[in-house]
Amino acid sequence: MFGLITRRLLTAIPTLLVIILASFFLMRLAPGGPFDGERPLDQTTQAALQQAYGLDRPLWEQAWLYVSRLVQGDFGPSLVYRDFTVSELIAQGLPISLMLGGLAIVLALAIGVTAGLFAAVRAGKAADKVIMMLATVATALPTFVTGPALALLFGLWLGLLPVSGSGDGAAWLIMPVVALALPVSGAIAKLTRAGLASVLKQDHIRTARARGLSETKILFKHGLRPALVPVASYLGPAAAGLLTGAVVVETVFGLPGLGRYFVQGALNRDYPLVLGVVTLYAALIILFNLFADLIYGWLDPRMREE
Amino acid sequence: MLTRHFPLVIVLVIVALALSLPWLLSWTYDQIDWDAVRAPAFSGSHIFGTDEIGRDRLARLAAGTQITLMVAIAAALVSLIVGIAWGATAGWIGGRVDEAMMRIVDGLYALPFMFIVILLMVVFGRSILLVFVGIGLVEWLTMARVVRGQVMTLKQRPFILAAEAAGTPPIMIMVRHILPNIAGVALAYLMLTVPQVVMVESFLSFLGLGVQEPLTSLGILVKEGADDMDMTPLGLLLPGGLLVVILVCLTIEGERLRDRFS
Repeated sequence: MFGLITRRLLTAIPTLLVIILASFFLMRLAPGGPFDGERPLDQTTQAALQQAYGLDRPLWEQAWLYVSRLVQGDFGPSLVYRDFTVSELIAQGLPISLMLGGLAIVLALAIGVTAGLFAAVRAGKAADKVIMMLATVATALPTFVTGPALALLFGLWLGLLPVSGSGDGAAWLIMPVVALALPVSGAIAKLTRAGLASVLKQDHIRTARARGLSETKILFKHGLRPALVPVASYLGPAAAGLLTGAVVVETVFGLPGLGRYFVQGALNRDYPLVLGVVTLYAALIILFNLFADLIYGWLDPRMREE
Repeated sequence: MLTRHFPLVIVLVIVALALSLPWLLSWTYDQIDWDAVRAPAFSGSHIFGTDEIGRDRLARLAAGTQITLMVAIAAALVSLIVGIAWGATAGWIGGRVDEAMMRIVDGLYALPFMFIVILLMVVFGRSILLVFVGIGLVEWLTMARVVRGQVMTLKQRPFILAAEAAGTPPIMIMVRHILPNIAGVALAYLMLTVPQVVMVESFLSFLGLGVQEPLTSLGILVKEGADDMDMTPLGLLLPGGLLVVILVCLTIEGERLRDRFS
């Protein structure tokens, strides 16, 4: 297992480097710069700003400087939020995004696995068909529709939940997390049902039945674990989906998370901010894929690498 | 046919309406009716009323649906072409080339692709052409995997071996024998790619990074509706509902097709 972890972490380094450099040069190809305001700055101020942030040096040198500072944990200064470094902005935004994503995946797993389990037990019956239809509908629900629709229903019409912002208590989390979790829960329900349906046909389940074990014990002790293998392999893509979904949810509900900084940064040409967020997202996704692989190996020992 | 493929029928009706309505309505999607700003539904010549600057909602829905579906089909075709080319090459050559090509696909799967597309949009301006090239380039990975698997099994089949033994050049085998045999599966995944692409396009447009005014798309309409929902909820519910109906119907049909071929 340690072999797998170290190997994955080692291949992660070149991957991250490629992403960082690709994003770096891509951003610099863009017309327009961070200091193009409504009123054009005069030549000397422009030049002084360029120099202060090192933007007048050759591109390769800037890229090298950026990477060497990044290794030391320095994401550089934000060009638009002038009083903040990118690290400070990330420190503000990351906890909110992680909380949204983390709660959403827990909720999605809870709903998805329960619904999938229920459907598989009643395979072929009406309940199964209804649940699977609902799961299909759920996977097709984009967060940018469900988010505003939930805000309209529970915020504006019923007045039960706050429409935007992160106030006291946890009420403000409910709608963003639900909007994020819905499509993921649908996918998990389908995977759980398909996995369980095929596992329940296998020999070891028949043996367990023949030995007279109770249905619940068969289901939870022998059926569920192998059935969750496809779910585990879906967790990596799901994490990527949640991160992009969080961009929308943060915009819709006015939450100061990373996604919002990313969109704002991209629109304002805040090079270091965008690079910092992309790097962080890439690292998170790579980490989550590794995590998913470890769960995979734990669920199904045959998958463990020698 | 009508009851079994009810979702497909709904999509076709929506497409027909989106194509024909602009000719039938007395308002175009960008025309402002100064006498009827935020008109309620069924007032005068505006069946669904007008938006916050007096544009006919129904005309905008039709125009937005047209653009959204056009982008979706074009991007899905890009993903189809790239995916088939990549997957078929890897599957046919096999060995180390296959290994390397599939490693690249695995690696790309793990990337925060939405963010790269957002960067692309910001960098190269927000032209509609780029929207579908960008999206198509993201969505080809699954197609490549599926096609590769199909080609690898086909390669072992007697009729392909016979063609090879008869000295048919690989290009001809590909075009005459392999491609027709993977068409069904490719079609099923194409059908599943379309809703994916609709989702990505609307997502980008929602953030203001996709299709640009004066053109409109369902994503833009959802965004406009969300900004104005405290005044007129209809502005959010109509395009949002339409988008969800299209996505659900296409997903159901696509999954059905996929299950038939696998």
